[in-house]
Amino acid sequence: MVIHVLEVSDLTKRYGNNLAVDGLSFRAEPGRVLGFLGPNGAGKTTTLRMLLGLTLPTSGSTAVDGRPYRQLSDPIRVVGAVLEGPQFHPGRTGRNHLRVVATAAGLPRSRVEEVLRLVELDGAGDKRVKAYSLGMRQRLSLAGALLGDPRALVLDEPANGLDPQGIRWLRDFLRAAASDGRTVLVSSHVLAEMAQTVDEVLVISRGRLVAQGSLDELTHGAEAPVWVRSPEAGRLREVLQAREGVRAEAGESGNDWLAVRGASLEDVGTAAADNRIAVYELYRPRQSLESVFLELTGGTEAST
Amino acid sequence: MSRLVLAELLKLRTTRTFWALTGSAIGLVLLILVLTLALDHGLDTADDVRSFLSSVGIYGLLALVLGVVTGAGEYRHGTIASTLLVTPQRLRAVSATVMACFLGGLAIGIVAGGLTAAISLPWLSAKGAVMLPAGETLKIFLGGALYAALAAALGAALGALLRNQVAAVVIVLVSIFVIDPTISALLEHVGQFTLTGLGIAMSGAHQETDLLPFGVAALVWALYTLLLAALAAIFTARRDI
Repeated sequence: MVIHVLEVSDLTKRYGNNLAVDGLSFRAEPGRVLGFLGPNGAGKTTTLRMLLGLTLPTSGSTAVDGRPYRQLSDPIRVVGAVLEGPQFHPGRTGRNHLRVVATAAGLPRSRVEEVLRLVELDGAGDKRVKAYSLGMRQRLSLAGALLGDPRALVLDEPANGLDPQGIRWLRDFLRAAASDGRTVLVSSHVLAEMAQTVDEVLVISRGRLVAQGSLDELTHGAEAPVWVRSPEAGRLREVLQAREGVRAEAGESGNDWLAVRGASLEDVGTAAADNRIAVYELYRPRQSLESVFLELTGGTEAST
Repeated sequence: MSRLVLAELLKLRTTRTFWALTGSAIGLVLLILVLTLALDHGLDTADDVRSFLSSVGIYGLLALVLGVVTGAGEYRHGTIASTLLVTPQRLRAVSATVMACFLGGLAIGIVAGGLTAAISLPWLSAKGAVMLPAGETLKIFLGGALYAALAAALGAALGALLRNQVAAVVIVLVSIFVIDPTISALLEHVGQFTLTGLGIAMSGAHQETDLLPFGVAALVWALYTLLLAALAAIFTARRDI
């Protein structure tokens, strides 16, 4: 049996009358970056916290390496996590925060120095956390997640507060982690960044899964029309309309354009060739991840 | 488990609260010592000296506050999340905090008690005051140190249970300064089981017959701590962080 490193099964979380997560199921597999998208209050953070054993599900289950997180004997070597919200004592230095975690996990102090260098905080390690900028705190979180050199990363909005250079570093880091065979689950509202980082996207809205697939699948969704330009657009339209389930409409950009729904690029091209209709242009526009996201979540604002 | 305790001790040492409370404990002890000895007031009998030596056990109260602030501080600053990510087993996490606070309180007790002994014993001797037998003197100081250690441990368990730092400190202070005296006044034999009654029994302030013996008082206090720690672990496991 294949053990998927991160797994969520029929997960539900209810706060009183509010259903925060509703029957969510997904797997994050090794060697891939799974992006977790959803508008504000969609249930992303709640889901990740349930996966990490910090929040109790109302029903359903989560598993890390085949077991609930709370049953892991040495979790820091299995999963590294970056969470939203305060998680540092403001009076403690960044280096000491990491030393506390390393000591508890039985890791050598040299590892603290390694991760400080990795996130480029080695120069600020002796500053108290209260003097850190948001970006530095985020880097410190990442350093904590990396301490145990884990096989999986669960990152809740890791790009928050990072400058463009930091975001680029994060993107490269996540890609490298996946190439290394690690499982990466990352939530973010920076959709453009997600588009450049993830292999697969999971979109939730109001606690429910509304889409899951590769970026190509999502951004080349069946709903996107095929655009075709032909000097015989009227005849081509009749030919296409005669096919079951196909709808062809005159395009807004000119009389020689058609927007065809319910047919693939190949279908339209073949139909035109079979009927000896000249075609000057034929393409299906790739939707941006942002437009797919807004479409799937009912136009709600991108999430935090 | 030892690495968890070491991590918790590192937490204690790397925040200002621990040093501020330790400094306050030492400062308070010195103030009481110097004022009492300089004013030469009420040190005529062995009972007076016994009461004087143990009354500086006020640091036990500060150790209790240290424990509460440490246990509840994890929630105040959100560090509980990173603690539980490393140690998801709640009982182990709470136990490590309690044990670290026990050791922190013990350190405060030893330093403050040592200072008390170093200053007061030669001073009392020079003044020609009644000197207690060495064994009894040692018992007072060791009792004070153990009281400080157990107080910090109980505070940590209570803080982890209540999670709200301010509320936990207020509850402790109200308990010691309002509830305990009230119980002692109304229910004579129950008073020995209050935190104040147990604290006095451990620090050897008085030799009153209605106090529990030293060892029994320490055991009852330890049982209170274990009960609170177990409740904290159970509630932490059932609560969302």
